[in-house]
Order: sequence, then structure tokens, then C-alpha cells
Amino acid sequence: MKKQFLFAVIPTALLAFAACSDDDPTPPENATAQYLVQTMSAIEQVKPGFTAAYSEFPSGTISNVSQPNALQGSANEGWRTYNGMVFKMFNASFERGIYKLNVTADGRISYDPSSIKTNNTINGSGNFVIESDTRGYYWDADAPWIIQTFNPTTMQRTGQLDDDFESALKRDDEGINFQGIGQHFLAIKQGKLYADIVYSKGSGGQSGMFNDFFEDVYIAVIDLNTGTYEKTITVENTGGIAYINDNEMFSFDSNGDLYIVFQGRTALGGLSKIARIKANETDIDASWELKFSDYNASDAGKFTGVFAKNGKLILTVNQEPLVGGPTGNINAGEIWKFYTVDIASKAFTAVEGVELSTNAGGSYAAFELDGKTILRVNAPSKGISGFYELNGNTATQLFRVAEGHAAGFTKINVNN
Amino acid sequence: MHVYGQSALLSGVVQDEQGQAIPGASVSIGNQFASQITDQSGRFSFSGLRFGNYTLKVTHVGYVAYAEAITLERPKTSVVIQLIAQSTILDDVTVTGKTETQQAREQAIRAVVVDTRAVAEQPATLAELMNRAPGVRIRQSGGLGSQPDISMNGFQGRAVRYFKDGIPLSYLGAGYGIHNIPVNTLERVEVYKGVLPIALGADALGGAVNLISQRQTGNQLNASYEIASFNTHRLTVNAGADFNHGWYGGVEAFYNYSKNNYTAAVMVTDPDTRNQTEQNIELFHNAYKGYYTEGHIGLRNRPWADDLRLSLAYFDTERQQQHPALMTDPYGAVLGKQSSFVPSLHYQSSFFNDKLTIDQFAVANNLDLHTVDTARGYYDWFGQFTPVTGRVGESSRPSLSNVDIWQLTSRTYARWSFNERHALSINYVYMRSRREGEDPYGPRFSGTDIDVLSIPANYAKQVVGVDWSGAFTDQLQFSIMGKGYRYQSRGTESWANRPINLDEEASVSKTYGGVGGSLKYQYAPNTFARFSTEYAYRLPESEELFGDAMWVVPNFSLNPERSLNVNLGFNTRQRLVRYEVNAFYRETKGLILLVPTIAPYAQYRNINNVRGFGVEADAMVTLTNYLQATANVTWQSLRLFGFTSPQDLWRNGTRLQNTPFFFANAGLMNRLEPFANHGQLNTYLHYNFVREFYLQTIPKDAEPDGPLGLWGEAGVESAVIIPNQHLLSGGINYQFPANRYTLGIEVKNLANTRLYDYFRVQRAGRSFHLKLTYQITDKT
Repeated sequence: MKKQFLFAVIPTALLAFAACSDDDPTPPENATAQYLVQTMSAIEQVKPGFTAAYSEFPSGTISNVSQPNALQGSANEGWRTYNGMVFKMFNASFERGIYKLNVTADGRISYDPSSIKTNNTINGSGNFVIESDTRGYYWDADAPWIIQTFNPTTMQRTGQLDDDFESALKRDDEGINFQGIGQHFLAIKQGKLYADIVYSKGSGGQSGMFNDFFEDVYIAVIDLNTGTYEKTITVENTGGIAYINDNEMFSFDSNGDLYIVFQGRTALGGLSKIARIKANETDIDASWELKFSDYNASDAGKFTGVFAKNGKLILTVNQEPLVGGPTGNINAGEIWKFYTVDIASKAFTAVEGVELSTNAGGSYAAFELDGKTILRVNAPSKGISGFYELNGNTATQLFRVAEGHAAGFTKINVNN
Repeated sequence: MHVYGQSALLSGVVQDEQGQAIPGASVSIGNQFASQITDQSGRFSFSGLRFGNYTLKVTHVGYVAYAEAITLERPKTSVVIQLIAQSTILDDVTVTGKTETQQAREQAIRAVVVDTRAVAEQPATLAELMNRAPGVRIRQSGGLGSQPDISMNGFQGRAVRYFKDGIPLSYLGAGYGIHNIPVNTLERVEVYKGVLPIALGADALGGAVNLISQRQTGNQLNASYEIASFNTHRLTVNAGADFNHGWYGGVEAFYNYSKNNYTAAVMVTDPDTRNQTEQNIELFHNAYKGYYTEGHIGLRNRPWADDLRLSLAYFDTERQQQHPALMTDPYGAVLGKQSSFVPSLHYQSSFFNDKLTIDQFAVANNLDLHTVDTARGYYDWFGQFTPVTGRVGESSRPSLSNVDIWQLTSRTYARWSFNERHALSINYVYMRSRREGEDPYGPRFSGTDIDVLSIPANYAKQVVGVDWSGAFTDQLQFSIMGKGYRYQSRGTESWANRPINLDEEASVSKTYGGVGGSLKYQYAPNTFARFSTEYAYRLPESEELFGDAMWVVPNFSLNPERSLNVNLGFNTRQRLVRYEVNAFYRETKGLILLVPTIAPYAQYRNINNVRGFGVEADAMVTLTNYLQATANVTWQSLRLFGFTSPQDLWRNGTRLQNTPFFFANAGLMNRLEPFANHGQLNTYLHYNFVREFYLQTIPKDAEPDGPLGLWGEAGVESAVIIPNQHLLSGGINYQFPANRYTLGIEVKNLANTRLYDYFRVQRAGRSFHLKLTYQITDKT
């Protein structure tokens, strides 16, 4: 899935953001880059594993474990990138916040000494979106009605949007135990910040976790020039946006249309759908939505991510009903099948050349790097773990990951 | 015995090698005279003797049996007997009396004894003492009262079981354990590694810790008070009295309080930039307080009972929680409380000329648990509170829970002695519990307002063991044992956000069997070798099956952990030197770990397999009459195996994560008599070293170089390495004349080094401790 850095997309988007040319994200001319590969050593709670740097686009078989400069730690499941910088919502000790990775020319990886600390117990803390090299927005459960601002280069909080969202949006309905703005969804499109409004029956660590008070999902539209709330748009009859982590569950198509994943009523799905805000619009497109039941009439599953490109959505769909419990299949089961979906017709076409995979979780199942559309595939029972390039509806292996489970793959500017 | 026809008095005192009195030692001078138990001053006396020759014998646990021919030819004879410790601190079990521990010794299963009596006057904690034992590591999450995790032969967590006087200890919850018991309330601690005697009826894999209470000997009072850094106060009272007609009674009580407000280096967040910098701050919400009191009354030496004891205990503990599992975030109001009334009955008797011995213990109690986490905001590391609208709780699980766990524990032990060499023993433990509670902030079943905690969770466990032990010759002892395990659980596989019908109820019942045996060969009077092996099970516990009604979801399909353990040891003792070498091998399958399921939930599952071996060496040298040195080292190579997925093959042969593989201890103890006949001064110094270890799997190729991995650093850039740790502590004890008062002073972590426990949680720096002990005995 493509990430939220709007300026890295096609000329259409660049034109749309001409007014923001001060934030030109073109990398410095002297920047060199390394490729980062992230692997998970074991499917455990804190996601232990390694991240290693490669000076060339990896090929053949690689092993992070054998890389002398690989960095070991927790939270090896995904990241977000912006203009050659790599950010994570968790650090090596699995603390929530906003963290930035650095890499040296010889491939030594480290966490930037500066990081932004957030609440460490409520999911979504540290959810962020970046507008430019020097400005980003994030959410912290310690101040749930505030949109905070930060500098992605210096990694310091710089303040907050001034508008009083709490006064405008707070509800007094009995049974709402937690509410706020931006916990699951922060996206920037054409000078507007879109932030979900959370009305949750949960509390503590369950705040906003598949326990929405309303059956519709509400999204606030905020004008970034003034920092003020404009309106609320509604996605009807679905459920919680997502369990939020570095996989932010939305994607901009090449034409600037924004596609947003809603995982549904419960962790097992139900009424899961993908909704759209068209490039030049600020409302939910009432004429289009992709429901999980469009694929599976019994609605036994959910979408867990999306990557949009050239009028296609690339996503995975569970091939068996999702099951929790000791024999549960949602994360460890090789049940997720890659599809391309024609946005106009909503036709699903299976991707050929890849096996059924495990759930990508916090990392991207599909994304773009160096102009390639890349799929992350893990089928441990078949000895398959690695990254594939998608061309049309056929995927071919770019490189295989040995000794660990493929999680993330991206490119990062070298620190001089 | 030759008799001359005049009356004589034989009195004396029994001391250890440092000249400290040994109370409770058994002293005899022949079959015609009742043996005596030394009082708190180590004293004994026999009156009304006739002049003549006697054989004076003294025995006591942890010491070499003493025997000496003595001639009484004066009206009064006084002797000083010095027992040689098998180790001043640690040694084999050598127990007199018909205890289960004796059976363990006869079965040749090795135990390590932490002789708490030998250090009763020192302001040492039980965890510190046990950490000085070979092969044992105890980690606590910081400060007095924090829950410990003991690691033995690489087994840890629930694989190690705890007992009090041979009874599974779980019924006492957090009220009684190695985290809070003052050392002077105990007689000793037995640590079994790998193989357990059947008398300890439990489903332990890695070993067991058996806390042996002080035995009452006549009328006695022992009291102590300790004051220490971090506003620590510890008070202990043990009193007992013998009444007429075999009745006796007593009280055991202790109180602990500590603010645990030591200084720790934490990451402090700037309120504006939200950047973090390391600062040394004083912990502000880390206090622990608790008391335990037990009164008992009993009857001894009846035709129908050797000992019948009724006890009533009550405990109440409160523990502040300063931070979550990692020292990442400050909490300022999270509390945990536990309390319970605990009535118990203990019956011991023997029949048919002591051929049949029966021991029955039963206890029923309700463990009352409270968790409080309702703060409507958050704290910083300086204790400043910031309110947050709509927020409840500082941790991920706001709570105002009230949980009742009704428990029943019964242990039945019987032993039939065929002759002096052979005996058959059977031990049966039945444990039952029912959890039910409420939490206004807890999860509800999806679509309802029904508290998940309100659905009862029932659990029952039975462990039966049969043992045949004996001796082929005077040199060769053996035992063969079999164990049966069964557990049943019944409840609702409930977790939040899962639609559920309230009438759906799941149950599971599983039965398993294990075997074991041991051999001990006494090569020479002071030299022996022993071997033991066992195939054992560790049954899933209630929480592992039912979850915690919050993030840990049920798993009724969980299987027990199972392990093959083999132990081989050699022990010899010369006049001034004693040393011991032990090796073990283990192969464990299905280790239960907490793994993620559907985010954000987690579940206990059978995951890892571990195979490996280890070696421990322990030595004691008496350097002079006044100076003794001890040292031990433990090295173990415990490695994962059984990965078959191509992606995981590299983990085969890697070290078991989060487990130290090398640690060592050294100690020096000195006895001085600076003031002639005016008391005794003891000094001691202890050093402890733990080699760096890894919270996560590191590649085998990246392990540190050098023999046994003892030099260098791991060849991996890791944020999850626990570095080398050094701990140096020392103290002075002064025993006042008449042996009633003892004053102990100790400085812990003399070098003020940074020490870690669980997941890099810091322990206290340098601390100062002062302990005053008073004891009085009125022997009849």
C-alpha cells in the first residue's frame, strides 16, 4: 500500500499541491540511500526481530540475521516513510510514540536520539501524518481531543492545532467512555486534514478498539491553513476504522482519490468496507464503496489494508472465515489471498504467482518502492517468505527472506 | 556405658564454625536418656547422670553429625561442641526426624538448602540468600514486596513451584512467599532443581522451593526489627509455648513496609517537545506494605496423633505499581491488594511401630483480590498529575476489580516402611479453585452489559505420586517413582468483543503420567555421587486456560509442558575444604508462552522446545579458624530446538531467551572476638556476577567469543541485551553476651552499580540496613 506522503505521487497530486511548494520533498542531491529490510524472528507479542540495511536493491536470498550490522529489537512489523525518512510508531522496546530510524553509509541502523513520547497504553497513540519535512500531525491519547504538531526532521513536538475540537465534537451520550479525534485515521489531502472522530464504549487499552458507540464512522475535515474544523463527514453502516499501527489503512490512488479501510464491527470483521473521498472532494463518495460482502456474500471476514494505483486496489482477502481462539487463523493462518480490484467495476482478480500468505498486520501487504509495486508474502508452511513485484495480475519474486519472516521493506536516506 | 555411682551434670553449647549458637540441634547421650533439642542459645543440659562413659551425639540439618566419647568424672561437666557445616550457607539436605525432606534425601534427589537460620540475624532478604546458591537466579521487578521469578536450570515462571512445609503454596497468594518472608521466620529453604521427590506433590518441571517454617522447641520468643534505606521497616515475631498434656501453641507474624523510593535512571519527557532525556529520579509510587499473622494450637504425642495442629492465618498486602512491565511510563495511583483468612488443619501420626506414617494437610480459603486503576489522567516521573477528559486508568486496563478465588487444597502423604532400608510412599494433592468477580471498568460480553468476570471459572488439579525408596547396600540408595497428573477446567471461553451465548460452557479434562528415579552411591564417608532423572509435566494453570478476562484470552486446548530431566552430582568433603559439582540435562517440550492472537489480544500457547545441559560447581574453604570462603559458578547451555519451518530453522540451537547462562557468587565470612567474653563479631562480604544475557533470540554465530561465551560481547547490534552485572554487599553482625541480642548492619550494592531485573527494570542502588534481633528461650 502506498503511504500518506502525498507529494511522492504522480504529477496530478503535485499539481494539486502547487500551493504548498515550500514543502518540496525532493531529497537532497548528495543523499545516498540504503534499502531496509525488516524481519520478525517469531510471531510473538512484542514482534522480536531484526532490521538490516542493504546498499543495493536486494535480490536472491537475504538473511537479516546474518547481517553484521542488523539491529535487533522489538516492534519489527512495519513503518511509515516520508521523503527518505523512516518512522515507526513503536521503538525497539515496543513503546508507543513516534520514532525515526537513522542509517549510516556502512549500514549501521539506530533509532534517532530524539523521539516523540506519547501515551503508551492506548492504541493509536503516535498515529501521525506528515505534511512536509518540517511539519506533521499526530495523536496522543493523553490529549485525545487535540491534534498535535511535530517536526519530522528534528523530531520535536512543535505545538497543536488551535481549534477546540472537543467543544465542537464531544458527545454526552451515556455509554460513550472514550472520545477524541485522530486516533485511527489522519490523512492530508489538498490542504485538508482528515481525522476520525472516536466515540468508543471502551476504556483504558480498549479505548477505540472495535467498540464504536455508533454504527457510522465520523471523520472531521480540518482546514490546515487555518487549523480550524470545517465539517464532519460520515461513512455509514460499518465499524471501527482499524486497529491502528504503522499500517495506516488508507491509500491515495494515482489520481489523488483517497481510499480508506474500515475493518468492521469486531476484530473478526463484519460490515468491513473500503470508502473513498475523491481527489477534488471533501465528502465521502456516496456513489462508490467496496464492501467485503461484495467479495464474500456471507461477509465472513474483513479488509486489513489497501494499496491504490492506477485505478486498481491491491489488497488481501481471507479465504476462510476468520477464527479466534487457540486455533485462530487471523494472523498465523496462511489464508490471505492477493487480489487486484478494478475500482470502476469492483471486479476482483486473483494475483497469480504468489501463495496464500499470513496477515501482514502492522506492515504493508502491498506498497510501492522504486516505481515497483511490491507484495509482501509469507507462507511459512511452504518455505516462502519474501517480496514480489506485481505486474498486471502476475507477481514474481524480487528476493527471498531466509531466517525470519518478511515484514517491512523500504528505502532510507543515509545520514551523513 | 560404665557406671561409677555418683550424680553428674553434663551441659554444653552447640555452635557452628563461626561460634554462632545452633538452636534446634538434637543432642543425645544414649538410649536410656531422652534426647534434647538445643535452645535458642544452642545450649543443652543433662542432669542426674551417673559418673561414667557416654557417647555424646549431636545432629542438625546442614551440619556433619557429631559423635564423641565422653567420660563424666566430676559433678559438673561443660562442653562446647562445634558442628562442621556441610556448607555455612548451602548444602545437602541432612535432616533428622520423619519429614518429607528426609525422604527426599533418602531418595538421593539433590536439594540445595538455604540455611536461613545461619543468617537469621543478618538483614538479608530471602531472595538475596537464594541468589547466592548455585544454579539459582531470582529476579524481582524492583524493591521489597515485588513479585519474584526464580530461574533454576533455566526453568522459570510457573515451571517452578513453591511450597510451605511441603504444601503447595498457591493458596496463600501474594501473602506469603520469597518476596516478603523475613529470613528469621524460617528454619531453612530447600531448593530442588530438576527432579522433585514425590513428597512435594506438584506438577513442577524445573524444580521446587520448599519454605520450612521454624520448629517450635519449648517456650520461645524470637523477635526482630529492621530499618533500612528507602523507608523500609520489617518486624518479625515468632513465639511458641508448650502447655500441659501435650498441648502447645504459637504465633508467627511479620510486617513489611517499604516506600521503595530508590533512585532510578528513567527517560523523562519534556512537556513541550515530548523528547526524552535520561534523568535520575526518585520513585514515588513504589511502596509495599503487608502483614502476615498465623496463630496455631496443637496437640502432640497422643496415641492417635503424633501432632495435630489447627492454624488460622490472615494476611493483607498492598502494592503500589510505579510502572508497567517495562520502566517506560510512570504510574501514580495503580494499586494491587490481596487478603485472606486461611484456616488449615495438619495431622501427623505413625502406626504399627512407626512402620506407617501419615501426614494430612487441608486448607480452604477465599483469596480476595483487588486491583485499583481509576486515575482520570496521567502522572509524570515527578509525581505531577495531569487530568485527561474521559480517561480512566493509567495502565491499559482500568480496573476497580473485586475478585474472589475460592480454593481448597488437600495434601495426603503416607509412608510404609518395610524395614530399615525399604519404604513405599504415596502422596496425593488435590487443588480446586473457582474464580468469580466484578469490575465496573472491566470488559463486557459483546452486545451485553454482562461482566466477563462474573462468569465463574472452575479449575481442579490432582497430582498423585508413588515412590519406592530403599538401599541395596549401605553405600547404594535408590528410589523409583511414578506420578499421575489430572486437571479439569470448566467455564466460558470468554473474551471481550466476542459474541457469546451465556449458556455456552466449555470444559476440558486431561490426564498424564510421569516417572522418575534416583541413585546415590556413598563412595567414602565424606564422598558420594548421585544421579536422578524424571519425566515430568507442568499442567496449565487457571489463568493460562481462562485468561485474565481482559487481554489474555482463554485457551482450553493448551497442553501441559513436559520435560525429561537428568541430574548427576559429585560431592566430597575434606577437613577444611568441601566442594561439589553437579551437571544436568533437560529436554522440555511445549513451553507455554504468551503470544498475540487477534490484536490486541494475547493467548498462552505451547510454543518452544528447549534442550540443553548445565554445570554447577560449589566450594567452601575454611581458611583459618576465623575465616571461611565460599564460591560457586553456574554455566548452562539451554537451547531451542524443534523448529521445522524453513524461516525458523536458524533458531534451532540458539540460546533460550531472557535466561542468564552464566552467573557466579563468592563470599568471605570472618568471625572475631574483639572483646573477650563480651560478645562476638561476624563480618561478611558477598559478590555476585551475572553475565550479559539476551531478551530475544540472537543468532548462535553472534554469541560472545571465548570459551563458554564468557568473554567479549555479542556480535549483534541489539537494544535488548541485559549487560554484565556486579553486586557487592557486606555486613557486620554483633552478638551481645548471653546471645539474646544481635545487631546486624549491612550495606547492599556497595559499589552502587546499576542492576537490572525483569526486562531491564532497575533495582535499588546502594542501601543501608540495620537489624536488631532478640531471642529468648525457656526450655523445659
